[in-house]
Amino acid sequence: MSLQVSKHGDVVVIEVDGQLIVGNRQELKQRVLDEAEAGARKVLVDFANAGYIDSSGLGVLVSLAKRMRELGGDLRLANLNDDLQTLFELTKLDSLFQIADTRERALESF
Amino acid sequence: MSELARVLDAFSEAYGCGAVLWMQAAGSDPLEVAATSGGDVTAPSRTELAEAEQEIRSRETALGRQLFARIPGRTRAWLGVGPVADDDAHARRWMRVLVPVLSQMLQSQWEARRATDELAERYEEINLLYSISEILGRTVTLEEAARTILMEVAETVGAEYGALLVNDAVSGLLRPVTALRVKGAPAPLPIPIDEPVSVTARVFRTRRALLVNAGVLESECEATFRQGAMLSVPIVWTTPDGGIPLGVVSLSGRRGGLGFTAGDEKLVAAVGSQIGTAIQNARLVRASIDQERLASEMRLAHDLQMRLLPPASVVTPEAMCAARVEAADGVGGDFYNLFRLGNGRTGILVGDVSSHGYRAALIMALVMSASAIHAQTTADPAETVQALLATLEEELRETEMFLSLCYAVVDREAGTLRWTNSGHPHAFVIGADGIAVRLEATDPPLGLGPEALHAASRPWSPADDLLVIFTDGVSDARDSRGTALGERRVLDVLRARRKEVPSRIVDGVFALVEGHMGRNRPHDDQAVVVLRSS
Repeated sequence: MSLQVSKHGDVVVIEVDGQLIVGNRQELKQRVLDEAEAGARKVLVDFANAGYIDSSGLGVLVSLAKRMRELGGDLRLANLNDDLQTLFELTKLDSLFQIADTRERALESF
Repeated sequence: MSELARVLDAFSEAYGCGAVLWMQAAGSDPLEVAATSGGDVTAPSRTELAEAEQEIRSRETALGRQLFARIPGRTRAWLGVGPVADDDAHARRWMRVLVPVLSQMLQSQWEARRATDELAERYEEINLLYSISEILGRTVTLEEAARTILMEVAETVGAEYGALLVNDAVSGLLRPVTALRVKGAPAPLPIPIDEPVSVTARVFRTRRALLVNAGVLESECEATFRQGAMLSVPIVWTTPDGGIPLGVVSLSGRRGGLGFTAGDEKLVAAVGSQIGTAIQNARLVRASIDQERLASEMRLAHDLQMRLLPPASVVTPEAMCAARVEAADGVGGDFYNLFRLGNGRTGILVGDVSSHGYRAALIMALVMSASAIHAQTTADPAETVQALLATLEEELRETEMFLSLCYAVVDREAGTLRWTNSGHPHAFVIGADGIAVRLEATDPPLGLGPEALHAASRPWSPADDLLVIFTDGVSDARDSRGTALGERRVLDVLRARRKEVPSRIVDGVFALVEGHMGRNRPHDDQAVVVLRSS
């Protein structure tokens, strides 16, 4: 997995490339926490190039979303593929995140 | 000396006088080592012998005139003959014949003795190698191997003190595994590899043997096992790519106050790689034992975990049930629980902790015990799981874990199925028509979502409906190319077998999973529970 970080106004966009799994979840966690430490309060995680998220990856996303809310900010998701979208729906995790089908719509929603 | 005596006797017989052979060890008086049977030759003084170094000398004794001469060669030896006539020219000619003969014989004896000594030395070396080989062939601890090796090596070179130290790569220390300590000295302490004075550390750094005299490079680090000269040799494990330095064996206090010889150094250096192999062997044995112990503990933990799962028969006579859990790591995070709730009601709980291994197994054990209590003391599935969440909340927060969990209650008398589903994706009711209806999640997984949980209901046909709950380890099972089995194929099997007894349905699902995985090992736990009313 690799992470591409960019800024769009006051939104930090983190693009996940590859699988978000137990072996690399800390990398995403640390990156988001570093951005939060630097003052970011709006974070968008873009899964356009991510194929799979395991349960540990889901846990990290929820944990980061909670942390951002505690800081008065928000973490949103975009570009989940069909499998991931289904997974979020089946596990009711879609109730914990604001999920957009494109990056543009996600950026507009902040 | 019998050969020498026979030569002297032959001389005596030919010339008619006695003959004696003296030999002198360094700093000692000459000793008679061979003589004619009727010899009348007295031993000359040291001074007289010294005068005979270059030429034949004569002297007058009470027994008559005697001649004596130094025998050239490595051995300090003299030949004396007498009594001889005053005109001793004839006797001198005989002596000039005899001396080279004796010289050659003494040289041969010296070489034979040297060969014997070398053989004895080789024997010690062979004996040492044999002892180490014996250690190699036995199942011993590192400490036992090191102690035996050190004692054997010290005995062979005559050292009273010494230590065998092995490298601790993490801390950068040479740790003493065993030592022959100076009397009254405490146990030796680890020696930093970069210690500048220590002979042992230097030998490890340079990977070359070092022989130092008393007073040279004396370090406090080695005071407990050094007295006087010291011989240190690196211990190397020889590999196809070269050698890996494992430690050092240092020896001191050679018996008799003598220093170590180059031969000692050569001997110990020669067995350094054998010692390395013995130590590596002992380490591998220990690692193997540890691994076996861990595997044994995992098997035990797995057995204990499986014992926590109830037999499917606990829900009879209200229901027929079959269940199976396969843990990916010996112990896992998938589990189920079954309850007879009275009045024809049956409770089925299936969960999947967000990881597997020991931590997941502990959460699982907690859920198993707590759910057994809450299922009997609450009326509604949401209420049951709510109570369960209250029990688990702190543990989940501390471990940063969560779990998906589906708890369904089948009421065959009322013809209803009521469930609460915290993020568990694979829960279905398969009806008589073969249609699989998903029991939708009512909440996110426990530990991730809001604290107020919800429940849902649907009709239940005791005669036709089949309740199936499985975990994502089943639908996510991968083949050798990494392709997931997929939920649809699992449902196909369930639909096709829906009229069979639950145990055959479960077998069918696992046959599908195993067929798909082939030789692949499961990367996640797998659980399947199938229930129908009876």
